[in-house]
Amino acid sequence: MSAVRTNTAGAITANTAPVLKPRKAARRKQSALLRWLPWTFVAITLIMGVFAPVIANDVPLVAKVDGSYSFPAFADLVGDAPPGPQDLSWKQWWSRLGGQDEDWAWMPLRPYGPLETDASLFYGEPSWAHPFGNDDTGRDVLARVVHGAGTAVSLGLPSVLLAAFLGTLLGAWAGLARGIVDVVVQRFIELFLCFPTLLFLLFASAFFGSSWLALVIVMVLRFWISFARIVRGEMLSLRERDFVLVARGLGISTWRILVGHLMPQVISAIGVTAAFCMASAIVAESTLSFLGVGPSAESSWGTMLRQGSEQAAIGAWHLWFFPAAAIITVVVSCHMLADRLRSQPVSQ
Amino acid sequence: MGRWFLIRLLWLLVTLLGVTFVTFFVLDCAPVDRAEIEVMKAGQSNSYVDVAHRNESIKKLRVHYGMDDPATGEPLPLWRRYSAWIGNALTLRLAGPGEDHAALWRRLAEALPVTMLLGGISLLLALLLGLPIGVWLGRRVGRNRERFWSAVMLCAIGIPEFLLATLLLLTFSVVWVQWFPAGSLRSIGSDQWTFLWQLLDFAWHLTLPILVMSIAPMVMVTRFVRDAVARASAAPFVTNLLALGVEPKTVSRRLLRHGAVPVATLAGGLLPMLVGGSIIVENLFSLDGLGHLAFLAVLGQDQAVVMALVLLTSTVTLVALLVSDLLHRLVDARVRLTD
Repeated sequence: MSAVRTNTAGAITANTAPVLKPRKAARRKQSALLRWLPWTFVAITLIMGVFAPVIANDVPLVAKVDGSYSFPAFADLVGDAPPGPQDLSWKQWWSRLGGQDEDWAWMPLRPYGPLETDASLFYGEPSWAHPFGNDDTGRDVLARVVHGAGTAVSLGLPSVLLAAFLGTLLGAWAGLARGIVDVVVQRFIELFLCFPTLLFLLFASAFFGSSWLALVIVMVLRFWISFARIVRGEMLSLRERDFVLVARGLGISTWRILVGHLMPQVISAIGVTAAFCMASAIVAESTLSFLGVGPSAESSWGTMLRQGSEQAAIGAWHLWFFPAAAIITVVVSCHMLADRLRSQPVSQ
Repeated sequence: MGRWFLIRLLWLLVTLLGVTFVTFFVLDCAPVDRAEIEVMKAGQSNSYVDVAHRNESIKKLRVHYGMDDPATGEPLPLWRRYSAWIGNALTLRLAGPGEDHAALWRRLAEALPVTMLLGGISLLLALLLGLPIGVWLGRRVGRNRERFWSAVMLCAIGIPEFLLATLLLLTFSVVWVQWFPAGSLRSIGSDQWTFLWQLLDFAWHLTLPILVMSIAPMVMVTRFVRDAVARASAAPFVTNLLALGVEPKTVSRRLLRHGAVPVATLAGGLLPMLVGGSIIVENLFSLDGLGHLAFLAVLGQDQAVVMALVLLTSTVTLVALLVSDLLHRLVDARVRLTD
């Protein structure tokens, strides 16, 4: 068997996936639904996470008050929403609006905030108005799940992007330069490999007062090695290939070869690693929140699950079911995306 | 061989130094001042008369904890505190300056057996189940049955450990049925029972924690073995054996070795995973192991215990990695040829 294997896109993948006979490879083709479902779930989570205040909020997207326009939900997206008009909250003002008034407001898709309580809906069962039900203080569970995605993504996305950048850069450098750089990078990879991740995240969270930055730094320290290992391995085999030799012979600079010729070959592997790291980040965030040392106590899937499981004995199943379903759906989707790249041996 | 081992041993020590230094550095960056915490605790009982008195106590405590230079009163630089920590660690005084080292060792000695039991049984289960299942799947890569079970495994690792533990607790010991105990290692009053009953009681208490802890390592081993066996199945010797009329069952047994050898290299990934798993499982099932100790230390912002635990876990991980590499070299001649 050759050391590398070419897939349909012409990209080189490391020889860790089992070599399939063509007949069986054809049978492995998944149905279109199964192929797109994980993408859909991950995309929905990312969009929900980034735009949570515009999707589920108790302040309007656009409001016309006394002839002037304001955009409170968008203000909430980047900072804090301004206080509502006439000494009322935005929600109260909106519910008192009449049809013939000059003032009007356009509420978000889900017109409930994650912290908005409603005394008449304590432990409300799922209904048409509240598909995921209400919790012990009448908060809308669906709005909290949307904002929980926000907490997970706000931690996961920056750390995965930063780790991908750092890991790709170091991995490519190690794979292309070889020699002393390669040795140093590999030693660093081994060093960070033996950190117990959860312990490190726990104490970073506890000692730095649940600071967002500390958690992102610890996650980047843990995730960059995954990218560096993949990219380094690919670069080691790619650099010997003919098209690189030709490019070199034509006098193209190393930087342009890297960006223009080598990066397109490894971009799919990077994407798959990113999906796997995203799953780890979401699990880490919800685990920390579940243990009560997470980055945000307000709305996180882990916090909701802990509160829900404490109240499960009194029959409020919807309090733990929906956050649990959200975590499992997203993490399994990420793993399905990452499954294309099989786990690689740790040290060889 | 001897030279290779020496170089690896040297790297082990360097890596250990690196791990402890990074941990020490991160802990040092944290805005947590032990002297001030102590004084604040004492301040709640109103034992300080005025601010000057309080500041003096902080100063004394800082010297006592090795944060300040006793002679000049200036804060000590990082490298001097780190080398002081190394000196203490080498003489097994891990509890931080001026504290009861024996008490910390007693706590560790009480917690270690619980965690070793949990981790050991989980690892054993992962290997005993993962190897045969991996070989079975590896012989059938691409077929419907393999795809189905691989998808099941994918979903199994998609469920985080804390979530699985919560769901199992809710289902089997709190809300739905009360088949399993929700925590601790033995029933109250079980010390008067016969040995067999005590053992059964113990196993009954361990069922759910072990189930939670062993699933992720088992899936990891299974997928690793499956890929190794699938690769080996494409080798000419398999076709040869089958053509000679050797039974597929015998061929599978031969392939077991191909799957088992690379599993040795998995130790580096499995052990940190078990450490993480033990933190979650011990907290949820209220078992007094190292994971619980770690959680308490983190909540109490006890730097010395965190350092001790990081030292312990990374030493175990690195030694396991070294031993597995050594075994791998001894068993597989091809590895020796590569360097």
